[in-house]
Formats: sequence, structure tokens, C-alpha cells
Amino acid sequence: MSHLQLKSLTKKYKKDTVVDAVNLSVNEAETLVLFGPSGAGKTVLLRLIAGVVEPDAGTVEIDQEDMTEVEAEHRGLGMAFQNFALFPHMSAFENIASPLRAAKLNKNDLKERVGDVARLLKIEHVLSHMPRALSNGQKQRTALARALVGEPPILLLDDPLRNVDAKLRFEMRLELPSLLRGRGTTVIYVTQDYKEAMALGDHIAVLVDGRVVQHGSPEDIYLRPANLEIARLFGDPVINRFEVNPVAEGENVSVALSGIELPLHGAEPSLSGTACVLGIRPEYVSFVPENVPGSIPVNVEAETPINEKIITLAKTTGGRELLVSRPARTNGPDSGNAFVTIKPGSGLLFKQSSGELLHGIVNTQVTEAVA
Amino acid sequence: MPANKALKRRRGLISRKALPYVLSLPALIVCIGILIPFFTAVFYSLQRYRLSQPWARKMNWGENYLNFLSDPGFWSTLKVSLSYAVLTVGLELLFGLGIALLLRKRNRVNNFVSILLLLPLMTAPALAALMFKLMTNPGFGILSYFLTLIGIDDFRWGASPSSALFTVVLVDIWVYTPFIMILLLAGLRSLPTQPFEAAALDGVPRIQQFFRITLPMLTPYILTATLFRLLESIQQFDIIYAMTQGGPGDTLTVFQVEAYLNFFQSTNVGRSAALLMILWAITFVISNIFIKNWLRLRERARGEA
Amino acid sequence: MEHSSILEKVLRGIALCLVITFFMFPILWIVLMSFQTNETILRVPPSFIFEPTLANYKAMFTGKLETSAASLEIHFLRNLGNSVLLSVGAVSLSLLLGVPAAYAFARHKFKGSEDIAFTLLSFRFAPPLLVLLPLSLYFQKIGLADTYIGLIWVYQLICLPLILWIVRGYFEDISPDIEYAYRIAGHSWFSTFRKIALPLAGPGIAAAGLLAFIFAWNNFIFALVLASADKQPVTVGALAFVTASGIQYGQIAAAVVMSIAPTLALALYAQKYLVEGLSLGAVKG
Repeated sequence: MSHLQLKSLTKKYKKDTVVDAVNLSVNEAETLVLFGPSGAGKTVLLRLIAGVVEPDAGTVEIDQEDMTEVEAEHRGLGMAFQNFALFPHMSAFENIASPLRAAKLNKNDLKERVGDVARLLKIEHVLSHMPRALSNGQKQRTALARALVGEPPILLLDDPLRNVDAKLRFEMRLELPSLLRGRGTTVIYVTQDYKEAMALGDHIAVLVDGRVVQHGSPEDIYLRPANLEIARLFGDPVINRFEVNPVAEGENVSVALSGIELPLHGAEPSLSGTACVLGIRPEYVSFVPENVPGSIPVNVEAETPINEKIITLAKTTGGRELLVSRPARTNGPDSGNAFVTIKPGSGLLFKQSSGELLHGIVNTQVTEAVA
Repeated sequence: MPANKALKRRRGLISRKALPYVLSLPALIVCIGILIPFFTAVFYSLQRYRLSQPWARKMNWGENYLNFLSDPGFWSTLKVSLSYAVLTVGLELLFGLGIALLLRKRNRVNNFVSILLLLPLMTAPALAALMFKLMTNPGFGILSYFLTLIGIDDFRWGASPSSALFTVVLVDIWVYTPFIMILLLAGLRSLPTQPFEAAALDGVPRIQQFFRITLPMLTPYILTATLFRLLESIQQFDIIYAMTQGGPGDTLTVFQVEAYLNFFQSTNVGRSAALLMILWAITFVISNIFIKNWLRLRERARGEA
Repeated sequence: MEHSSILEKVLRGIALCLVITFFMFPILWIVLMSFQTNETILRVPPSFIFEPTLANYKAMFTGKLETSAASLEIHFLRNLGNSVLLSVGAVSLSLLLGVPAAYAFARHKFKGSEDIAFTLLSFRFAPPLLVLLPLSLYFQKIGLADTYIGLIWVYQLICLPLILWIVRGYFEDISPDIEYAYRIAGHSWFSTFRKIALPLAGPGIAAAGLLAFIFAWNNFIFALVLASADKQPVTVGALAFVTASGIQYGQIAAAVVMSIAPTLALALYAQKYLVEGLSLGAVKG
């Protein structure tokens, strides 16, 4: 239904540039996820799109029409907030009905549409309650209902599952995609949870300090993060990092890790001598039964099951810490000496000083390792 | 609502940027309304100006102020104002704290008493002075009568120079102690219970608990209450004027009363203005201390919320 | 810490009684006095038990005072009317002007907002006469002397800073997200102000308005300086009563009772709001 475009959108608070010349574009019926740590400017960006905050520079275009000067109440968007932002002095029904009342819809149609949306979100039975009588989950569903009831062409969701307990969060993460995809709505979804980002987004824009640092499909970001910080944020448990110095022998570049030489196929020889950080995701490290050539000796320190994985903390002979991830209910050493190998082609090489990606995974199918 | 192609682009009657200024315009006007007379007063204080002698009006710059230094009347004004302020605030703090401690627990009786104690605070100070004036009437006043019962026959309350200050301070205490009490009670009730529970477990006697825990934690509230009342006390007009018009003689000529009398009785605008400027300077310093302290308290309250 | 002894309980009880007696006695006494005839009042020792009379109040209302010597005209009802007019007028105006301004201060931190707020705040504590005395001269020049409008305008000096101070805090406490949500739903900023901000800040506005009314009603010095006899409120009027010739103490007492009754009644009726306004206004701002 709508094509949203942000051009050089900028917002400053006093000396702080909170949103820095952001360029983004979303096609109709797509879901764009805005991902980033707190303070990255995601919420401010949403507010700029919604029109409740005025930008210092740049434009917001909807369907190629410049909306920057248009007041929020005329933009026809829907938004759900992290803290629900329900009107405390109105019932759930009235909260949801609010956009319809603004459009001056007649009584019967209004009642019907509120009922429909409430049924969809399974909160019919609490429509007459006041917000303080609702549980967090019900509040969140009411907030979503309010955003959806007007059938807006563009939906802005500001980390809606953040303040909802873990179990409910999981449930809603399953429901949301069907809710959103079915309506053909264009969605901008803000989250700090990378799993949510990967599950919900058609494409993801990573925001750090107000700037879009990377924009691409979930796989792009997971497999080829633009810098070390993104690699760290996108992955659970966090990616293993080793400081290394690539050495070139003719056309071949390799790095040394605990005395084992790891070849970096396709890397540029000019990398030699640059201080780098080698990033290897725990799921690409696996235990091997014995001292296979090319395996790294480690000492297992601790092991803990988390959700569907088992995480092992190990230390190399050089004293470097290493996390290994394997699926639950598989066997592995839980203490003492062991050996690990690294999946070929799974290394990410980052420049140490700037963190940017120098050489990454190429031509490898890793979808099965994605959480 | 399906995408509305005819989206309005109006900016509304008042542009978004101008809105805050328009809304606060009246406040701004009042601000100006205050500043103009203020600067006029500054101007007058630098003049020799009597309404009764308009022809003799001329600038005498700081002379009014210099004259104060050698004017016993000025020092008397300063002395009485300070005594009044110190006495009232000091005693009200003491009593207010005591009563707040008495009413600390939330129960029916205490809540009822707190409500009752609101009443003196809601009485106009001038009328409270009037009430006490009637009660201290030498002929039929009930308070004079009570004194005769314990053998004091000739206590002249507001009419005698030796007891006039006592009388007006009494009225002030009656009206304003509840204010301090309410503030301190709110403070007391907002104190966290853990330190006290810990102290009780350790066997610390109650009196020590009071001095070591309660009092320090109450300090911001005590400071706020003190500064607030100090500011009002040193400018007190209503009670004193209603009771004795500054008399008997000039025993109770505090700053504002003296300024009033200067202006309306002696029509001495210059002196009156200079007196008020000095008072303003004193209150300005105190109020700055107060505002800083109050802002700090507010930040703390916000932070804990 | 519940181990108070019997002695403590008794001492507490005595202390409470003393406190209540001290603070309630003057009010009770003046009420009693208002129902006494002059003879009863002048009787020594003063009597707690006597034959009550409504003559004093009657005289207030009918405006005539019959004494053995002559018949005096009393215009106290007019003072009462003035008080009502001035207080209600002043508070209404200050709410009208102050609430939107408080909203602007709360929501838009614009240049100069802190300065205006600070100036108003610091003048809250400045000596009133400093402003009143020059103002009385100005008023004479511009013809506002001794007018209701002039007085209501000057009363804003008391009421506006109070409203701004208290109400701004309440507006600031409303999460901006709630207002954003309402606007995004399609409502204008004015509608948001009316339907969201105002109702949610309601208790604060009520507390501020109540306090402003009481301060305006109890005000003495403003009216003393700027009003002439026929526009004086009860605070000044009651005092003028005392100095008039042929004073009847019963009437004075009745006048005082009628003057303090409204504020006392308001205080009892809305004490929750008042205490909140007073203590939080001082602490929370």
C-alpha cells in the first residue's frame, strides 16, 4: 500500500545528533526492522516518521509525497509503543476506538471494527476494563489493536514485546508475522533482540549512534556484518573474538590461532601485517573426538544449557577464551582437555582499529546454524 | 482508514513553532507587569521623593541608603524584623517537628487531627490577628482572663512594648506551625523503613534513632520548610499591621510595615522604596539558596519515582 | 517498634489534647462569641454557657445595626461579595492563562522558558509592597486605581506563579508517549490538550486552583493598598469594622466567622487536594 522513504533525516537535541542523515526506503507490504543498541536513535526515528517530532533536516516521503510538513494527525499511520501508552482514563474499548473516533466513524461500524480487531488479538473479554486492570500482555495487545484498527497503510512498532514476559513474548513472536503479513501493511519494527529482527524482518537496518551502519537481509547481516559491533550484537552467544596478525605467503593468507594455521581463502595478501580481529561464531566451533590435524587443543572450563543449545566455555593453551555452541541433547566433553575445529570458511576478519569487516564468509550455506 | 490521497497539508491556525510562545504569552505579560514596578521602585529608592513635596523631588542616588546607616529607626526595623523571623521560624520548626512526630503513624485519630490542623493555616493571617486581638482584650478577652486565673493581672499583650512581640509571634505560630507540620509529616512518612527496622533489630534506643537516622534524613525537608518560612516571616505584614499597626510606638515596625507607614503616613516614597530594596536584597539571597535546594530535592524525588 | 509503654501512650494523649486545644480554641471561641450579645461578651468571668443569639448575624445580613444609641449601617455583605468576586475572578483568570502556559513550559523547552519561570518564581518570594507601592501610583495614572479589573490583574501576581509552579509538574508527569499516541490516532494538538492532558492533570489543576483561591481570599495587603472602601474584601473590611465607631464585639466576631468560613469549609472539603498541593507543590513543584 505504501512506499516510505527517508532522505537525510536528521534530528539534534542540544549538541547531540540523535538521528544523523538517515536514508532508508521501504517498499509496500514489506517489514523493515530497525535494529540497534539502546540510545541508537531508533525511537526518535519512529517519532520523526510519525510526525510527532520535527526533524532538523531531511524529509519523510510517503508514496513519493513529501510529508515532512504534515502534522501527525493527518499522516494516517498506526503506532504501538514500548510502554503501551494506553490512555489511562479510558477503557480498553475507547483506547482502541480512538483512531476511529478521530475519523468520525459512525457508531455501529466503529463497534464492529473494534470488536473485529479485539477478537483478532484475543482481548474481547477485557474491552470494558480500564488499563490499570489489564495485565501487561493484555495492555500490549490493546496497544496493538489500537494501532491496527484504523487499517493504516504504514505501521510503526516500537519494540512492542520488550515489556512483556518471556513466555508471552515467545507466543506473540509467533503470532505477529501472520497478523502483519496478512494485511499487506508496510511495517517498521524496532527491536534490540536480534532473533526477533531475523524472524520478523524482510530486511534489517542496523542503527548505531543515529546512523545506518548496515542495511540488508537478515542473512546478509548475520553472515556479513559490516563491522565487529554488529557481529557482536547479532548472535547469541556472542561471537568469539581473537586478535590475530595475518601472514601472507604468496597468494595465501593465513592467521595463527593457538599454533594452528588457519587459511583464509580469497583474502587479499595486502592484509598481511594489519592488526586484525578474527571472529568465529560459537556454532561454527565443534568438538572433535581426538587430535585431528588442524584441531585446536583446549581445556573445558564450564558448560551450561541455554534453551535449545549447550554452551561450553573453554580456554586455549594460549589462554584465550572460547565459546562453543552445540545443539541440546548432543554429546560433548564437559571438562578436561578436548579438541575443537573451526568450520572452514566461517571466519570473519575485522580490522582491529576500525572494526570494519575485511574478509568474511563466502559461499557457505549456514542457514542451519541460524537460531 | 485506507490511504487518503487527499492528505491535508495545513499547518493549522498557529504554526507548530509559534505555539509555545503564544501559550505562554500571558505569563510573559505578568512577568513584565512585575518588572516594570520593580524597576520603578529601584528608581524611586535613589531619589529624594515625598508625595507631599513633589517640587522637591530630585535624584539623591545612594543617599537614602547611606542615611540608613546612621538612622536608629532603620536599625530598629532591622532588629525587630530579624527577631521576629528567628523567633517565629525557630519556634515553628520545633513545634512543627514535634507535632509531626506525634502524628507520624497513619491511623484514624492522627489523620483526623492532621485535617483539623489545616484550619489555622487556611485562616487569613490578618483575621487571625483580629481573633487574637479580641481574645487578648484587657476587658473581656478570654486569654487575659486565663492569665488572671494564674495570678497575672496586668498583661497587656499587644498594647505594651514589652509584650507586643510576644503577642504577634504567638499569632504567627498559631497560623503557620501547621504548614511546617504538613511538610515534615510528608517527609517523615516518605522515609524508608529499612534503616529503622535495622536499628530496632540492633537495639538502638529510640532517641538515638531520632538523632542519628530520622533527623539527618529529614534535613532536606527541614531546610525547605525553614527557608520558605524565613522568606515569609521577614516580610510579615498582615499579622503585625492588623494587630498593632506597627505599634505600640515603633516597637513592631518591621520592614514592610515601616515601608507602608513611610509611604502612606509620611508620604516618603524615597525612603520607603529604599527600605523595600534592602528587604528585597535579603529575600533574593535567601530565595536563591532556597530554589537551588528545592530543585535538588525535586530531582531526588523524581529520581526515586 | 511497637513497644510503647502505658506512660508513653498517656503522654501522647495529653500532648495531642494540648495541640488540638491550642489550635482549635481560637476558632471555637470566636464562633461562640459570634452568638453572644454584647452584654454576655463583656461579662467577666467569660461564660461558656449562655443564651445564644442570632442578632449579630441578622445585623450582618440586614445591614442594620440597632444599638441603644443609634442605628448604624453595616456594609459587610458587600465586603463578602467583593471577596467572592475578586477571588473567583482572579483564580479563573489565572487558570485560563496559567494552565496553557504551564503546558507550554512542560512540553516545549524553548528558549526563555526557564528564564520566565525563574523570574516568576523568584518574585513569588519578593516583598509585595515593592511592586504594590509603585503600582498604586501607576494605577492612578492609568485609571485602574480602585477598579475590580485592576485588582484582579494584580491578584495574578499571587495566583499565576502558584498555578504555573504546581500545574507544570503535573503536566510533566504525563508520559509524552500517551500524547503522541493520541495525536497519531488522528487528533489535533488542541484535542490532545483537552482530552488527554487536562483530564490527566486534573487533580493537580484542582489543587492549584484551590490553593490559589484560598491565597487570594486571605490576601490582605493587596487590597489594603489598592482598594477603596467599597471594593474591599473581607480581610480589610473586618479590620475596618474594628476601628469604626460604635463597635459591637458580637458583630465583629460574626464578621470574622463569616470571613473565615468559606476557606475553612473548602479546606475541610478538599483537604486531600490541599495537602497534596501544599507539600508536593513545595517538594515536587
